[in-house]
Amino acid sequence: MRVSTNSFTNNFLYEIGNLESQQTTLQSEVGTGLKLTEPEDDPSAMNQVLNLQTEASSTAQYQSNIAQIQTTATTASDALNSLQTLVEQAGEIATEAGNSDTSSTQLSTYAATVGNLISEAMGIANTQDSNNNYIFAGTNTGTAPFTATTDSNGNVTSVTYNGNTSVASSEIASGLTVSAQSPGENNSGSGPGGVFADSRAGADVFAHLIALQQDLTTAAANGNTSADTTAITADHTNLTKDEDNVVTQISTNAVLQSTLETASNVAQQQATTFTSQLSNDTNADLATTLTQLQQTQTAYQASLQSGAMVMQLSLMTFLS
Amino acid sequence: MISLFGTLDMGARSLGVQQEEMTVSGQNLANVNNSAYAEEQLEVSESTPDESSIGDEGTGVQITGITEIRDPFLDTQIQGEASTTGSLTAQQTNLQNAEAYLDEQISSTTSSNTPDSANGLAADLSSMFAAFQGLTTDPSNLSLRTTATNAAQTVATQFTTVSGQLTNIQNGLNTSIKNDVATANQDLTTIASLNQQIVEAQNSGGSAVQLVDQREQTLESLAGVANFTTSAQANGAVNVSIGGITMVSGINVTDGLQAYDPGTGNLMVEDTNSSAPITLTGGSIAGEITARDGALASLQSGLNTLASQLITNVNSIYSTGYDLNGNTGQDFFTGTDASNIAVNSTVLSDPSSFQASSEAGDAGNDSIALSLAKLGNQAIAGLGNQTFSSNYAQTVSDLGTSISTVNDNLSASQAVSQMLTTQRANTSGVSLDGEMTNLIEYQKAYEASAELITTVNEMLQTVVNMKTS
Repeated sequence: MRVSTNSFTNNFLYEIGNLESQQTTLQSEVGTGLKLTEPEDDPSAMNQVLNLQTEASSTAQYQSNIAQIQTTATTASDALNSLQTLVEQAGEIATEAGNSDTSSTQLSTYAATVGNLISEAMGIANTQDSNNNYIFAGTNTGTAPFTATTDSNGNVTSVTYNGNTSVASSEIASGLTVSAQSPGENNSGSGPGGVFADSRAGADVFAHLIALQQDLTTAAANGNTSADTTAITADHTNLTKDEDNVVTQISTNAVLQSTLETASNVAQQQATTFTSQLSNDTNADLATTLTQLQQTQTAYQASLQSGAMVMQLSLMTFLS
Repeated sequence: MISLFGTLDMGARSLGVQQEEMTVSGQNLANVNNSAYAEEQLEVSESTPDESSIGDEGTGVQITGITEIRDPFLDTQIQGEASTTGSLTAQQTNLQNAEAYLDEQISSTTSSNTPDSANGLAADLSSMFAAFQGLTTDPSNLSLRTTATNAAQTVATQFTTVSGQLTNIQNGLNTSIKNDVATANQDLTTIASLNQQIVEAQNSGGSAVQLVDQREQTLESLAGVANFTTSAQANGAVNVSIGGITMVSGINVTDGLQAYDPGTGNLMVEDTNSSAPITLTGGSIAGEITARDGALASLQSGLNTLASQLITNVNSIYSTGYDLNGNTGQDFFTGTDASNIAVNSTVLSDPSSFQASSEAGDAGNDSIALSLAKLGNQAIAGLGNQTFSSNYAQTVSDLGTSISTVNDNLSASQAVSQMLTTQRANTSGVSLDGEMTNLIEYQKAYEASAELITTVNEMLQTVVNMKTS
């Protein structure tokens, strides 16, 4: 076969060009550790990577939402536990005071103690979370939900609820929304349970505490008549309903916290899965790539060596 | 019987022919690296013999012409492949530009150490929906509101930037089409003028091989711009037709190409004489039109659909919401598509006017923010029931597929070109070894002819000396 001088060099250049470009691709894979950098490298893997990336970003946001809600839920849990203790204390006072033996002096002391408990309960009712949002105000988080009216003696005579009965919720997983907020009061008969007052449970912490304080004061003034004992015993029954209602709220909060915990673990696992899937789609297999690079380099070297040898040879070398 | 002078004359002619052989070899050696060059050969034949009583007596050698070794079939194939390569190269360059502007490159330089595409619209969309999610945890928080509007503004800016750059590429393609049309017309003029010189050279009995080489080079350059068909004429001219319309007929340019705007702002090609649209199937003009009206147009329209669906869906939720001051009814996004999407300037400058609440005066209400956040995972009817992110990922991977197809076709076309070029080089190309051998042959023949002249000269000397002695 006739081979022209030009065709040899042309072919030689074409071949080492191919090897060079193959070598560059492999070298850049080794250098970056990535087998996929541009959409054209592997369009379907790119599609998957972009979708995984979106999922990973959502998951990271869910984790951040979970952390935020957990903080609020912990604050709510502390407040609810304090409230339970407080209502329990009031109940104990009512039990002891509901005894006909109790002296007027003791009844006055009890009345003063209940007065303190009311102030304490006001503090709990107006609890704020780390973002200075009131957690027992429903969605009216910017305004203190409970305001008290006092008489000339400084005793609270009534407490008004300024919040509403709805709560704001956030997603903690795709399609799963939860809320760490609770309305302070819900007498509508539907929706999330009110912490301090709820018509369904017959609970109304402030009204019942105020009634107890007033009954204790009356009893102290009247010398603890049987009518007073009856009234105080009735207050005790009401406070028991309040405590039951708070316990319900505490267990709701516990369920929420465990839901958050589970969601957080799931999100964590998902994040790990997304990371490893992303890595599978994009990271080069170094062992294979390096071997291929070695092969290409060997071919390149052989091609250069043989080419250089053949190119030097021509009839002219031997004509003199 | 031929006289001694006749023999001397024969030797002199032989010297001339060997010398001409050397010249042709020299020409071949000089063009050893010229890829369009076809090896030339000196055609020689025995000169007319003298009839004599003893039979025909040879009178030596004569030159009948210089020819070149060309395979017209290979030339046509190389022209065709040049058109394919030209078209694919134009597509590859422009689509890769668009790919770069999308900015969806995977890198592992981010802090997370997981390789991802952190700069493109995919990441921006995720950040925006994440910011809406974040806002639900504290809807009245001004800094969370600002984060959400800024993330949305980043999405809008990325849309308009990419859209603007795609428009630039399309404008650039229109300019390239105009330039390529001018180049093609220039080549047609050159071919007609070379036809004329070749016809003239052949009519006057001269050799036109260099002109044919030049014409072949011009035809191959034209093939890179627009595909055509040729038909060789008996007088040596080549007629050229583009899209079935004769552009060069013999020595005349009978028609030309021109770019025209069919009303879309995107240039197409027609012939100059009758303004008949020409559909090119190869060459850079065809590649430019294919890239512009194919992958780039669908990328552009994909982004426009995505942006307009984002605007409509976000606004229809957002506009029913209330801001911290009890105002309602504003849109979140302004604009209609990827070229002009922007976040409402009111909410950008004042985060308290973000309408996150579904009730007037209810600062902690996050219903609207939550609906916006959930929109990120919703199948959107206007996007073929894909989510915003998956629709965009599809658009990106569609472009990737287009480029990867062009890449594959281009490397196949380059391999075919290479094969054809090698075939032509082996047929028409110069072989150094062959020419060296020829040189030795011609040198020896020249020496032999010179020896003949010396010998005849000595014989003539002898004849002259016969008288004096």
